[in-house]
Amino acid sequence: MLKESILYESVGELAKRIETKQLSPVELTEAYLERSQKLGPQLNAYARLLPVEALDQARAAEKDIHRGHYRGPLHGIPYAAKDLLAVKGVQTTWGAKPFAEQVFDYHATVIEHLKNVGAVLLGKAAMIELAGGLGYMYASASLQGETRNPWDTGCWTCGSSSGSGAIVAAGLAGFAIGTETWGSIVCPSAFCGVSGFRPTYGRVSRHGAMALSYSLDKIGPMARSAEDCARIFAAIAGHDPLDRSTLPVDKAAFTYSPAGDLKRRGLRVGWLSNAWKEYEPGVSKAIQAAHKILPRHFVSVRDAALPEGPWEEAAGVVLQAEVASSFGELIRSGRVRELRDPLGRTGGYVDLTVTGGDYTTAQRVREILQKKMDALFETYDVLATAAQPVAATPLTTNLITGLAFPDPLGAIGNLCGLPALSVPCGFTEKNLPVGLQFIGRAGDDAAVLEAGQTFQRATQWHRKHPKLA
Amino acid sequence: MNKSTGQKIDRREFARKAALLSAAMVPAGLAFEGPAAAASKEQLPEGAEKLSAEGRVEAEARFQQIMSQYGSRFDSEEQKRVREGCYNLQGSLEKLRAFHLENGDAPALYLKPLVEREKKPLSAPAAGAAPAAAKKP
Repeated sequence: MLKESILYESVGELAKRIETKQLSPVELTEAYLERSQKLGPQLNAYARLLPVEALDQARAAEKDIHRGHYRGPLHGIPYAAKDLLAVKGVQTTWGAKPFAEQVFDYHATVIEHLKNVGAVLLGKAAMIELAGGLGYMYASASLQGETRNPWDTGCWTCGSSSGSGAIVAAGLAGFAIGTETWGSIVCPSAFCGVSGFRPTYGRVSRHGAMALSYSLDKIGPMARSAEDCARIFAAIAGHDPLDRSTLPVDKAAFTYSPAGDLKRRGLRVGWLSNAWKEYEPGVSKAIQAAHKILPRHFVSVRDAALPEGPWEEAAGVVLQAEVASSFGELIRSGRVRELRDPLGRTGGYVDLTVTGGDYTTAQRVREILQKKMDALFETYDVLATAAQPVAATPLTTNLITGLAFPDPLGAIGNLCGLPALSVPCGFTEKNLPVGLQFIGRAGDDAAVLEAGQTFQRATQWHRKHPKLA
Repeated sequence: MNKSTGQKIDRREFARKAALLSAAMVPAGLAFEGPAAAASKEQLPEGAEKLSAEGRVEAEARFQQIMSQYGSRFDSEEQKRVREGCYNLQGSLEKLRAFHLENGDAPALYLKPLVEREKKPLSAPAAGAAPAAAKKP
C-alpha cells in the first residue's frame, strides 16, 4: 500500500518515480482508486469512477514503460476529467438530470490528447449542472449533490469544476481537468487550495466538451503546482481542426521542458488595487502577506488598476445570449424543470429574451475592453490579486445572497480570453485555503505559469494538504 | 417582398403587424391593462427603482413576454424569480447601452470563413504525436 504522502506528490515527482520504475502505474492507480472509493463518496467528488478502464490503461502504461516506451511526464499518471468531457462509451452527464444517460461514441480532444501521452483516466469529476450556465443558488445544484471541501466538509468547493477541485485537494488523483466560462477553474482552485490554470481562449480544443458559452468556454488543468499545470497544459494545448475556435498551430501549442524550466525572463507584476471591493479578513491577511514577498522574487511589483466600464454587464449579456442558444431547446421544451436548482429551472427563460442587438453591443464593448487590457500588458507581464475575496462558504449558503460580490476581473479575464492561474497563498483563521491569482496577456500563458512557479519556489502553501479521515 | 402573396410590405406596415402580433400574445387581461399597469399591482423586484422608467417598462414587457409564452410552467415563487431575472438583466442592459460606442466600433467576434483547407484537413492529429513545437506565444 502506498503512503498517503506519495499520493499527494506532484506530477513531476510521480513521473520521476514511474520513469525510473520505482513506482508502478498499476500500483499508483490502485491506490488512487482505493482512496477515491473511500473518500470520493464522502466528498461527492466523482460523477463516476472508471476502475476497470483505469486499470486497463495503467497496465498498458506499465507494459509500455517496461518496454522502454516512456511517453513523458503524464505517462501512467491517474487523473479525473470534469463530467462535461466526452469519454467514449461512458455516461457524460454534464452534471444534470436531463443528460444523466447521455453517452458519446467518441472522446473529447482533451481526453484523446491525455490518452496519447499515457495518462490514466480514473473517473469523471462531479460538477455543477450544466456548469452553472442557467444560474444556481445552492451548492447542491448538481446531479451528484453538493461537493464537499476536503479542508472542511461543511464547506463548499465552489463551482462549477467542484469535483475537480475536491479530487486534487483530497489526493484522489494526480490531477484533474476543469473548465471555466466565468470563474469555474479559478474559484474551485482557490477554495480547495490547489493550483488551477485557465488557459488563453483557443489554446485548448473544446471538441467533445459541453458547450455553454461558445465565446467564453475554456478547458484547463487543476493540479498540485503551477509546474504541474504547465506539464498538463503542454499535453492538451494545440490547434484542432475539429474546434474552429482554436488558435493556429504556432499560437495554440505550448511546450514545457523541465530542463529548460519555464523560460525565465523576470516578470513585471501589476498588483491590482480595484479587483475586489472588500475582502474577508482572513483572506485579506493572507493576500497582504503574499503581496509582501512578491518584490523579492519579481523584477518589479507596482500598483495597477483595471479599466472602468460595464465589463460585468457585457460578460453577463454575452453569457446569457449564448446560453439561450446552447440550451435553448432544453429551456423551450420545459425539460429545464428537471434541473436541481430552483434558479437553474427559471434562469434560462430570461436568457431567451436577450436580443441580437444587445448581444452585439456587448461584443462591441468586449472589443474595446480587449484593446484596453492589451495596452495594460505593455506595462506589466502579469497582474496579481486574490483569486477570490472570500474563502470557502458553508454548504448551505444561498449563493445569490451570501456569495454575491462584484467580479470585474472575472468578467474581464473571461471576456478577453486571458490566461489566469490560482495558487494557494495561505489560510484563513478557520484553516480554509486562500488563492493568489496571476493573470496574463492573451497568448502569454507562459508568463502566468512562470509567475506561479516563481511564487511556489518561494512558498510552501501548495504542499499543504487537508487531514481526511 | 412577401413571398407568399407577392405583395410588398413596407417597414412601417411590418412594425404595425409585429406590434399587433405581440399584443395578441399577451394574455387578454394583461393586454387590456398594459404591462406597466400590471407591474404597479405587484411589488417591484429589488433594485427596480434604479432603472429608468423606460427600463422598467422594458423589463416588465420582457417578463410578460415570458409569461405569455411559458407562464403555465411557473408557480408564484418561480414567477417572482423570473421577474427578478428580467429586472436584473435590464439593469445590465441599461449600463451596457449607456457605454459610448462609435458606429465603427466593431464587435469582438468576426466571421472566420470556412476555407477549403480547413474543411478538408490534410491529416487528423496523429495518435501519440507530441504537440507541434511552440513559437513564443
